[in-house]
Amino acid sequence: MSHLLEAKAGDRRLLMGNEAIARGALEADISVAAGYPGTPSSDIIESLARVAKERHLYVEWSTNEKVALEVAAAASFAGLRSICVMKQNGVNVASDFLLHLAGSGTRGGLVLVPCDDPGALSSANEGESRHFARMLEIPLLEPGDFQEAKDMIKWAFELSEEILNVVMVRSVTRLSHASGSVVFDSLPETDKTAVFRFDGPYLDPMKGPVLSLPVTIMHTRQQEKLKQAVAKFEESPFNTYIGPETPELLIISSSVCHLYSKEAIHILGLTDRVGLLKMGTTWPLPPKLMENYLGLTDNILIVEEVIPFLEENVKILAVELAPQIGIKKFFGKKDGTIPTVGEMNPDLVVTALCKILAVENDGVPEIYTRRAQELFSAGAPQREMTFCAGCPHRASFWSIHNVLQMDNRQGFVCGDIGCYSLAMLPTGFSTLKTLHSMGSGAGIASGFGKLGPFGFNQPALAVCGDSTFFHAVLPALINAVHHRSDITLVVLDNSGTAMTGFQPHPGLPVDAAGNSVPAIDVIRVCQSMGAIVRICDPFDLEQTQQTLFKLLERKGVNVLILKQICTLSPEKKAGKNFEMTVDEATCIGENCGCNQLCTRVFKCPGLIWDKQENVSRIDEVICTGCGVCASICPSGAIKNKEVA
Amino acid sequence: MHIFGSRELVEAVLKKDLCTGCGACVELCPYFKSYKGKTAMLFPCTLSQGRCFAFCPKAEVDLDVLANRFWKAPYEGTPLGKYRNVLAARAGEKMENAAFQTGGTVSALMTLALKDGIIDAAALTDRNDMVAVPRLITRAEDVSGCAGSKFMAAPTLSVINRGVIQGYARMGVVGTPCQLTAIAQMKTNPLNRQDFKDAVALTVGLFCTWAVDTRKLLPLLTECIGDACIQGMDMPPPPSEIMVVDTDDGKVEIPLERIRPLVPEGCHVCPDMTSEWADVSVGVLEGEPDWNTLIIRTEAGDQLVKDACNRGYLKTKPLPAENLKHLCIAAANKKKRALIRARDQGLLNTTAKDRHSVLRLRPEILETIIDTAREE
Repeated sequence: MSHLLEAKAGDRRLLMGNEAIARGALEADISVAAGYPGTPSSDIIESLARVAKERHLYVEWSTNEKVALEVAAAASFAGLRSICVMKQNGVNVASDFLLHLAGSGTRGGLVLVPCDDPGALSSANEGESRHFARMLEIPLLEPGDFQEAKDMIKWAFELSEEILNVVMVRSVTRLSHASGSVVFDSLPETDKTAVFRFDGPYLDPMKGPVLSLPVTIMHTRQQEKLKQAVAKFEESPFNTYIGPETPELLIISSSVCHLYSKEAIHILGLTDRVGLLKMGTTWPLPPKLMENYLGLTDNILIVEEVIPFLEENVKILAVELAPQIGIKKFFGKKDGTIPTVGEMNPDLVVTALCKILAVENDGVPEIYTRRAQELFSAGAPQREMTFCAGCPHRASFWSIHNVLQMDNRQGFVCGDIGCYSLAMLPTGFSTLKTLHSMGSGAGIASGFGKLGPFGFNQPALAVCGDSTFFHAVLPALINAVHHRSDITLVVLDNSGTAMTGFQPHPGLPVDAAGNSVPAIDVIRVCQSMGAIVRICDPFDLEQTQQTLFKLLERKGVNVLILKQICTLSPEKKAGKNFEMTVDEATCIGENCGCNQLCTRVFKCPGLIWDKQENVSRIDEVICTGCGVCASICPSGAIKNKEVA
Repeated sequence: MHIFGSRELVEAVLKKDLCTGCGACVELCPYFKSYKGKTAMLFPCTLSQGRCFAFCPKAEVDLDVLANRFWKAPYEGTPLGKYRNVLAARAGEKMENAAFQTGGTVSALMTLALKDGIIDAAALTDRNDMVAVPRLITRAEDVSGCAGSKFMAAPTLSVINRGVIQGYARMGVVGTPCQLTAIAQMKTNPLNRQDFKDAVALTVGLFCTWAVDTRKLLPLLTECIGDACIQGMDMPPPPSEIMVVDTDDGKVEIPLERIRPLVPEGCHVCPDMTSEWADVSVGVLEGEPDWNTLIIRTEAGDQLVKDACNRGYLKTKPLPAENLKHLCIAAANKKKRALIRARDQGLLNTTAKDRHSVLRLRPEILETIIDTAREE
């Protein structure tokens, strides 16, 4: 049984933020959960999928975030509670539907959980989902710790059903992926029936058709709902204040930043001088509550990550409230006290407080600094980001890179999001020359492939993963075929959504909860569009390269599927296909004729350069036995023996 | 020594359109590859000196070093280079059933060399679709499959490099002047490697005024011959001003004015028309389309020609004096044109560290060549 179900009401458990969110959804008695994998959000759907059977849930990894929100909305329209989960840029994908959904309203509680990634620890962007709440006029909540992550989800469902609209609960990496203690509430036992009612009066929110039309009426209704939410926010238990009655400085913060602020106040011993207002309901801000706290002092510091969202909203309120609270001095991102990119941390808040209050920071003890420096200089070696040992992507990009170099027409590859994004770096031989959102490689290539009349004659390639293919490549590929663009799309099919942890996708015969489902065949999908499709094993370098050469000669849309399961996948992890060895006598080493091709250029972590002996070696612990290095060795020194 | 590494080779030769695609740098290592007539570096190699640079016929070729090695005397700049004898030649009765272009002298010599075991493999140039491709053959009966002029660069020397790794010890090669220059450089073991073995036992050079960049020629060929299959190519002597492409759909004529712009810069600065570093050199014989001009340069070449005549593979006759005179004028003019062009572009005898020469030769020889060559 999942540990999310083991504990009873009142028990205290160590939970990861994402597990706390999942437990909150279970305590809120949801019926449906849908999402698209993306760090740092993926564990929420995974946790719910694990208990789907026991808790009678329908859980799916949807084709993309927009579809996920649509699936969750259907449950809501049928009167059930549903949760929809995605990473920050997933909200961009879902946003067109979200705009209309916010207009039509919902029935059963619907909570949208985006997990943002300030500092882009696992992202190609620092996108902010908070702005969608303001832009699309829906309430926004931000849990400040692990307990709140659970409790706020429950509260959000209640709010959603009170105002009959979707509610956003935003997490961040350091909440989603850190762990803290959480006290459990009970799990309700209810029978639910799904019925979609549509034959009531046109504007009846519970019985009529679900529409965002007529727009002005529905928009007015939506804004009234938001006012209802604000009224509730005035009394919300998630907005808290710690500090003196008349602080010299008031920090307003939200999410994990309030923890950094708390720590900074503690480090500097400023508990008597600085107050901390932690906001859990960050959009729209409750004006009465803000008036009370803004009135405590004239100096306000706003601590948040990335864009000044909270800061701008507070400032607008402060202007409106000026007759009551007077003129304030603000510190934050606009005046440069707090950075506008990257993650926050306690040190950054300490620095800000020292500057504002003119206090000295003793900082870290001198001995700590000295020892840290000693350790640093003894140091861990500099490491580049790299594909795993035996990763099929390394072999794929080896072939793509070499074919493009030999083809010698300045061909290039447009990339998108996946482990294979690393191909912009030397580990992928710097093969990717554009890198944007999911599916964008194919779309951009489709555009390049139409520039012939302007003298453009470079081969344009795109790469995508198998999950990405379904997520956002299909429209781009259709566009390319329909407009007779000349592109070659390489589908790096490693049989799963590998980067985020092998979540299934429509190309696989299994769903999130482990049920058997029909798999969509990428080959037939592409063929039905009229694309020429070839399939190769990327570990077979020769066949892959010859196939790619031929495709590059062809006009029109070509699809090359490079199919090889991810080395870290549960199915593959155990076994080696080959036992690899190096014949030291044959190894050319750093001499003219090789110059360490395997350890200097190919650089699979399973290969080691022995400086003393001037030969390459196999790291038997790391080597996965894919055998590819034997194919690249110019002297045949690397040998592969098939494992029986 | 003016030997550098792969990065300098790319800068000094590939990026300046000086590469003729001869294949001397290909298959030595994993870094240089040839595809469709074009040589590319896959990854930069960090070595400061490499055989790629040392062998390249367009990077720091010191003509005195080569002449001293092969002729035991400094480079003189004579129109045809060093030679023992010049003859008219054609294939003999033993070659009756073989297919070849013009006189068949090259096919005859390679056939005999393979049959007699003078060489253990022959690096020749074949055609695959429209592209010239190298082939290392070991059977005499495969020689005629590679007969015929291609007029485009093929990385023929890449199969020599691969042949060395495969263990061939006495290879023969048929190549253009640039390719024979590269072979000559290989034979000097420029990097003084301990493991060096001269694996080339016979060199047959071709007369060449220029070759065409394959990548640029392909679209033109496609335009002119459509889907037809190429069976041969020929360039009739002046004043015809055409290239004749023989296809399974008949002969197609392409005006030379459309071909000349496709010649790489590397050919324009080449002073060698008759493959001066070969054992024997072979070209057309003006006015006699069934015969070749044959220049015998070395003792090995002389012996092979004698054997070929004695055993019915080759027929020879004296070369008319008028033909020799015309050949010398043409060769001298190519030298003059090429060296003036190279000099004017700063590609001769450079002194700056970061500026590499295509050729090095003594200034007095350069002056003599430029002054004496004239239309007679």
